[in-house]
Amino acid sequence: MEPGLSIESGSAIRVAVLPVGGPIPPPRLREYAALVARHARVDLASLRTYYAEHQKSPFAHQPWDTGCLRLKFVLGGCVPSPWEDFQSSRKVLAVIGICHLPSSSDLDRVAAEFVDAARSYPSALANRCFAFCPTDAQLAGKKRDDIIMLPPSDQQSLELHMLTMIQDLAASLLMEFEKWVLRAESTGTILKTPLDSQSSLGSEEVIKAKKRRLGRAQKIIGDYCLLAGSPVDANAHYTTAIELARLTGDVFWHAGALEGSVCALVVDRMGQSDPVLEDEVKYRYYTIIQLYRRATLQDNAQRVSPVSFELEAALKLARYLCRRELAKEVSDLLMGAADGAKALIDASDRLILYIEIARLFGTLGYKRKAAFFSRQVAQLYLQQDNAYAAMSAMQVLTMTTNAYHVQSRKTSKMNHDSSKEPRTDSGKVHPQSIVSLFESQWSTLQMVVLREILMSSIRAADPLSSWSAAARLLRSFYPLITPAGQSGLASSLANSADKLPTGTRCADPCLPFIRLHSFPLHPSQRDIVKRNPQKKEWWTGAGPSGPFIYTPFSKAGASGTSKQEVSWIVGEPVQVMVELANPCSFDLVVESIYLSVHSGNFDAFPVSVRLPPNTSKLVLLSGIPTQVGQISIPGCIVHCFGVITEHLFKEVDCLLLGAAQGLVLSDPFRCCGSSKFKCVNFPSISVVPPLPLLVANVVGGDGSILLYEGEIRDVLITLTNAGTVPVEEANIALSGKNQDSVISIAHSTWKSALPIKPGGEVTFTVTLRAWHLSSADLEADGNRSPANARRIAREGINPFLDIHYAGPAANPENGDVSLPPGRRLVVPLNICVVQGMRLVRARLLSMEIPARFTEAHLRPASGKDGISAGNDTEPTDTNELKIDPYKGSWGLRLLELELFNPTDVVFDVDVAVNLDDMDVDQKVISEVNAAAAACHKTRIDRDYSARVLIPLENFKLPVLDASFFVKESGSDGPLGSRAAAIAERNAKAELNASINNLISKIKVKWYSGRNSSGELNIKDAIQAALQASIMDILLPDPLTFSFKLAQNGAVTNVDSSKDAGNLSSYSNDENIAPTGNVLRCKDPISAHEMTHMEVQIRNNTKEIIRMNLSISCKDVAGQNCFDENSATVLWAGVLSEIHLEVPPLQEVVHPFSVYFLVPGDYSLQASSVIIDATDVLRARAKAESPDEPILCRGSPFHIRVVGTA
Amino acid sequence: MASTACFVIVSKNDIPIYEAEVGSAPKKEDLAYQHQFILHAALDVVQDLAWTTNAMFLKSVDRFNDLVVSVYVTAGHILSKSSFSPLLQPRVDSHGSISFCYQCCNANTIFMLLHDSRSEDGIKSFFQEVHELYIKIFLNPLYLPGSRITSSHFDTKVRALARKYL
Repeated sequence: MEPGLSIESGSAIRVAVLPVGGPIPPPRLREYAALVARHARVDLASLRTYYAEHQKSPFAHQPWDTGCLRLKFVLGGCVPSPWEDFQSSRKVLAVIGICHLPSSSDLDRVAAEFVDAARSYPSALANRCFAFCPTDAQLAGKKRDDIIMLPPSDQQSLELHMLTMIQDLAASLLMEFEKWVLRAESTGTILKTPLDSQSSLGSEEVIKAKKRRLGRAQKIIGDYCLLAGSPVDANAHYTTAIELARLTGDVFWHAGALEGSVCALVVDRMGQSDPVLEDEVKYRYYTIIQLYRRATLQDNAQRVSPVSFELEAALKLARYLCRRELAKEVSDLLMGAADGAKALIDASDRLILYIEIARLFGTLGYKRKAAFFSRQVAQLYLQQDNAYAAMSAMQVLTMTTNAYHVQSRKTSKMNHDSSKEPRTDSGKVHPQSIVSLFESQWSTLQMVVLREILMSSIRAADPLSSWSAAARLLRSFYPLITPAGQSGLASSLANSADKLPTGTRCADPCLPFIRLHSFPLHPSQRDIVKRNPQKKEWWTGAGPSGPFIYTPFSKAGASGTSKQEVSWIVGEPVQVMVELANPCSFDLVVESIYLSVHSGNFDAFPVSVRLPPNTSKLVLLSGIPTQVGQISIPGCIVHCFGVITEHLFKEVDCLLLGAAQGLVLSDPFRCCGSSKFKCVNFPSISVVPPLPLLVANVVGGDGSILLYEGEIRDVLITLTNAGTVPVEEANIALSGKNQDSVISIAHSTWKSALPIKPGGEVTFTVTLRAWHLSSADLEADGNRSPANARRIAREGINPFLDIHYAGPAANPENGDVSLPPGRRLVVPLNICVVQGMRLVRARLLSMEIPARFTEAHLRPASGKDGISAGNDTEPTDTNELKIDPYKGSWGLRLLELELFNPTDVVFDVDVAVNLDDMDVDQKVISEVNAAAAACHKTRIDRDYSARVLIPLENFKLPVLDASFFVKESGSDGPLGSRAAAIAERNAKAELNASINNLISKIKVKWYSGRNSSGELNIKDAIQAALQASIMDILLPDPLTFSFKLAQNGAVTNVDSSKDAGNLSSYSNDENIAPTGNVLRCKDPISAHEMTHMEVQIRNNTKEIIRMNLSISCKDVAGQNCFDENSATVLWAGVLSEIHLEVPPLQEVVHPFSVYFLVPGDYSLQASSVIIDATDVLRARAKAESPDEPILCRGSPFHIRVVGTA
Repeated sequence: MASTACFVIVSKNDIPIYEAEVGSAPKKEDLAYQHQFILHAALDVVQDLAWTTNAMFLKSVDRFNDLVVSVYVTAGHILSKSSFSPLLQPRVDSHGSISFCYQCCNANTIFMLLHDSRSEDGIKSFFQEVHELYIKIFLNPLYLPGSRITSSHFDTKVRALARKYL
């Protein structure tokens, strides 16, 4: 059988094209052959110049104007067919030699070789030898007849030259045909086919043969007419031949003549599509097939079977009919032909048959059928044991890969570049298009095909193909391959790679599977803030302001369906996280993997990974953008198994989608134990020009700053510009939790350093105060080893410094100023607060001072002092003055703080009370382990506790003096303590404010042994301690008393306008003792002198107060000096039972004079019994019964009397 | 029972969703491949032929050597191609999102049998009964249309039918 036969092929003159002389480089040979082969059709009209009619032409009806000669060039020649007498088109009628002169200099040898080669084609009627690329010497030499030299020239003239040569050849062939036909007509020929048995030469046979000879001769003449391009002549001869053959029963030749006639018919009507013609051809060909079959049956016993002619006829008809609308008929014909394959003895015949069937099915559009027969062809090739056959098998199988959907990406990429893009505009994958990706995937068949490709390519020694096939097999079908098979494939990959040069690229990726995981953006990359030229403070509202990733107030469309946008900056490294999976059972060593960027503006850094069997791994791939522009990262370049491949993310995404829909065998990531599939959209990445890059550095290390509770410390932060652009503007703000722990930021420092040049740095101070640990924190601490107070800073409790900064505005020359984006740097202040001084408790001290004096004591002197609120002193106790009233503890309240030092360093505690914006260091009485020593600093050793006393004498608030009480009195209607309680409740807010005000004035500072200092947060504790008696501390008395010296007419004002801020909380039958502070006259008074004094009584209420005032004087011993029996003091003026009326919020002055006889210390005290006290006063005094006398008393006024004598 | 029989159900996406070697001949892997290759190649013919007839059972549509391919095309084939009456069904896909998709009743499904026996009636009955089984599979709400049939029950039944009819 012969390949490529068609109905018209009977009219083609077969020309063998043989390379002669020295070896011709394959591309040259291909070039020369193409040069020859382009003249497959030579018009008869063009032959006239070369044609010389020696005799009368037998081709009477030759169409000189329209006809043509058809040449069929067979490169390399062919084996002479035993059937060439039967069909002249099988004969090699001409031989063309091709010689590449540079590789064969000796022309004589070439000529000889060509003659030798042509000798093997005895049927050749004309020979030509073309020699290409002759040297000048060869051209200059004697012109040879046997070699035609084509001098080197341009392509066009070479073609023209060749055309002339071929036309010459065709003309000489035509003349030879004429000669042959004339001879055959006159003398006749003996034509034999292998069917005509040589052995049986019986007389009957001889007679039969004689009869048949004429018909056969007619048939052959017809053949030559066809070859000579004269179908009409041919038809005439064929008709005769058909008649004769039918008469003589020469079935085989009958069929041959019929075939020739159809060929003549078709050639004659070439280019016309006529249904009548088609029907005619069909009808005749079915007859031909029938005849051939009959001939086959007839000669069944013979050695040679003409079955191939039957099959060829079927194929010819099929090719003639091969159109989509006749698919049924054609496929029936082809299937019939395929059935005939069994009858073919020769393997190469079967090969040709299958090839032809596959080609025809392919033309018909039956891809799967074509692939099936191609695979049959490949199997036949594989049965032959040589490398060329294997190569052919490989190539044939490669052609089938499209039909089986296992094509190499190299070819598929060419076929449909972006047509099968499964992603639609929205970035969502349409499920239908995903399905289409997996259409017609017969995994079993795919595996078989790939395995056969692998086998054949190994046999054909094509390492790249075998690598590619093994890679496809392993990647697509690993779940169907046993572990041993997987290892086998891995080793065949490795073997193939060994034969390949290093750095070979292959279009088909192997393992691992790679999918995009995420973009772990470096903070400096993430925080690129678009600058709004209209807005001066462009940073506001730009970044996330809270702890939430999503806020409903952020710009719509920033997230969600639209593709996210990422900006990368030239020269700054970026990272992309990908996930690799090795679902196979062998160790996978990825020699290098890096991002594949086609836009060419990205330098990717390779990493190498080792993946154990059935594992997946997250790998961070990094690189540096090098140029401004868009970057798209379709996948990764992987160097694995010795070959470089590109792995596309999109393909894996589709694969995973397919796996999710049950279309693919398995999900490589799932079987490696990785998480569920999530589709990561690749953001559109744009590279922007360089921006400044600030790097923050906390001086002293980036570790957390260890602070004791309440500690105040300055932290130095260094900002370095690591970019290439200066920082021109910046803004520093706070965010995150515990913002109040940052007391101050030295804004002026960094502002003065602007602009920060590249490489420049600025250091500024941030003052921190550690916050107070909550009880939960303390418990957590307790669970840890108590010895080590250090603790790890918890996430999310730290404040951040948000630094927004930007470089200069770009190119202002063309008018519009384009602002490059600014950036944000977030500096976490890693504060680790450890427990410092601990406040165990705070309380108002109950001073153990006689709380009450008897009436007898009281009347001459007011030996009375303040007692804390909750203290129930015994009313019977008298005379127990623990604190000398003259030493100034009068009315003193002490707040005791018990502190414990659980740390491992020594703490010094310093209490400061800030009054009236002025620090007044109060006396601190501390008792460290019963060592009562008054000092300003209290040292507390580790694991010891100490008590710190804070005197609260100065906390009467002058501002609130009257107003608070006025308000209270104004709002209060009911009597008694209930009314007071209501009043207190009503004024609670105001009260709380005043309490806070009071508390904020108390500051307990500490200095630790670690050379740090801070403040103790004691607000809550103090508040709790003060809550009960706050009224007493804060509220002013209804009456305040003050003494003044009136000397020389001028009154020396002694500041006694203090608030004796507490009414006694207990009630006596006859007195209520408001206590006040001890006041002193600054200058000593001389004895033996009349001293004019006055007592000033101020009414703090809004109502008029009537009262009986009495003034007492006591000496050091507490004796009443105004006693009539006493001789130490003389006085003038009324001192007791003075009836006074004080108008509201007014003062009344009562003057008197004293004359001290004995130097020493004295104290004056004024007290008054209020007559007809109002309810408010009673409430204030907490009187229990309405008829109780209300006694008001001022603080003692201390006088130092110095003697003159 | 036929010595060679290979039964394949091909889904609408031309993916084999069920394959079974139901012949009595001893199983050989190479042959099984070959059978599938033949069936795969026959799809070209079947898909052309299905449009020319309204018969569901197409006998001997293709052959290779001694093996004959018979085909049973389910009725959904034509419906789905022209999408006349798609059933609008809410479906929860693998991502958890609910989508409404046009899902045709066993659309495009082709039963293919490669056989060497000529008992036409038996083959037709076999196809009809397998079709019933297949519809039962299809009614399973957990069965994702177009995905592989993994039910062992179905497999057992099909093999029993093969023994009975082929």
